[in-house]
Amino acid sequence: MAGIPAHLSWAIIRNNNAFLVKKRNIKKPFSTEPSNLSNLASFRFNGLIHKKTLGVEPAKEGKGFQLVWKKTRNQHKLSKLTNKTTMKAGPRRSLYKLRRFIVKNGYRKDLTKAALRRASAVLKSQRPVPAKKNRPKKTE
Amino acid sequence: MASALARPLITVYSEKNEKTGTSLHLPVVFKAPIRPDVVSFVHHQMSKNRRQPYAVNKDAGHQTSAESWGTGRAVARIPRVRGGGTHRSGQGAFGNMCRGGRMFAPTKTWRRWHRRINVNQRRFALVSSIAASGVPALVMSKGHMVHDIPELPLVVSDKVQSFNKTKQAVIFLRRIKAWTDVQKVYRSRRLRAGKGKMRNRRRVQRRGPLIIYGEDQGLKLAFRNIPGVDVCSVKKLSLLKLAPGGHVGRFIIWTESAFRALDAIYGTWSSPSSEKKDYNLPTPKMTNTDLSRLLKAEEIRKVLRTPHKRPVRAVRKQNPLRNVRAMLKLNPYAAVLKRKAILTIQKKHLDKQEFLAKKTGVPLQKTKQQVRYEQLIQKRKEAIQKSKAAKPKTAKKAKKAPAAK
Repeated sequence: MAGIPAHLSWAIIRNNNAFLVKKRNIKKPFSTEPSNLSNLASFRFNGLIHKKTLGVEPAKEGKGFQLVWKKTRNQHKLSKLTNKTTMKAGPRRSLYKLRRFIVKNGYRKDLTKAALRRASAVLKSQRPVPAKKNRPKKTE
Repeated sequence: MASALARPLITVYSEKNEKTGTSLHLPVVFKAPIRPDVVSFVHHQMSKNRRQPYAVNKDAGHQTSAESWGTGRAVARIPRVRGGGTHRSGQGAFGNMCRGGRMFAPTKTWRRWHRRINVNQRRFALVSSIAASGVPALVMSKGHMVHDIPELPLVVSDKVQSFNKTKQAVIFLRRIKAWTDVQKVYRSRRLRAGKGKMRNRRRVQRRGPLIIYGEDQGLKLAFRNIPGVDVCSVKKLSLLKLAPGGHVGRFIIWTESAFRALDAIYGTWSSPSSEKKDYNLPTPKMTNTDLSRLLKAEEIRKVLRTPHKRPVRAVRKQNPLRNVRAMLKLNPYAAVLKRKAILTIQKKHLDKQEFLAKKTGVPLQKTKQQVRYEQLIQKRKEAIQKSKAAKPKTAKKAKKAPAAK
């Protein structure tokens, strides 16, 4: 079932929805819905209006990230809408797997870069922060 | 490819969130055009209809017999209170600028508080908001927590209508996974900002799910104490409940009989409404609103001209007399001429130096480049002579003879 096309939904909610976040002096509003890869309020990145959406979240165990994607058949059966897999192999393999998933399935190829970026950011946040070296003060 | 106007089957869920065998066709109302502008307008007009008039006392500020002192008394000409013996005497009265005077344009009770809205507009808005409640993206965007509900639009068996205990209602909402929306209402309870606090509007909370029933067999009593939950009969749908705030996309739970009644109440496009006189659903302006589909469609692509992938942009004119590359573009031979000129200058310079050197007896120190250049010339000469010597002379003569003719 075609349902409502994404463009129409976007026209309705672009300036008016519960996830819209506007901040002072920042022209482009943010968006806090779960499957938004860039957290920006934009047509392409919106996590609700498209038939296929991608979400990258940190995995609950604290290692690796979780890929959330929509199943195209169940657009109206909300409990069965999303599929999740956790990628907890090391960073190179996880990112490879992620890229493979997107490109080979042709699942929102326009989001590959953004997805990889977000996954890397998640992985980076899970690495231990390197201890700051105490630099001796420069005299003179 | 299903058209946008296809009517899928919606399963009815039991009050325990199991699929009953029944499935209903989606009523055509859900395919009506969604017009948030109409909804917003009608909602704002409608919400004015519950207003109670407010006004200032009509005598306020006029209960004095003040009169202006006129000119010549070194005071402003505003009417002043008569008499004496009290602070009030001689004070300004009547004007909006005076203390104790009446306000500018005192508010009247006969202000036009209510608005009438055209019946068709009202129905359009209603139908739009029902349609929007069937779109998961719009309902989620409104903020309702509907991630785990089995299906949208959510239709539940008629058993719900005979609930009369709140406990049953809560269990039902829990099972259907609508409870998270109610929890959100609980979490959103706060004090109102502003003076409404002291005007009996102290607390504010979010709106939760709306339950639309066909027949009330106790349902209202069961659900009324749950915060955020609204209850409504199909026959008396109100835009204020379907699109609270003027925004489309409320989370609605339909009972089976309510869902079935929709086609009769609002009609389908092929048959007008049987409940409303002379009413049929609004026809959409576009049957296919999928922009990306349209842009890729054959019928449209065929009529378009070829795309200009590389637009020709205006190039700034460069003066060839000052810009070497511009000159070369116009006249490639200019390179040769220029090089010739440069080399001639260099040669002349070199010759002059040699001449001077000879004259003064000072041996000339040649730069590396000059030395190499001379070597190069020498090599070339030798190479040419070599190749000349290598070529058989007869062949050359034979060649020359016919060319001379």
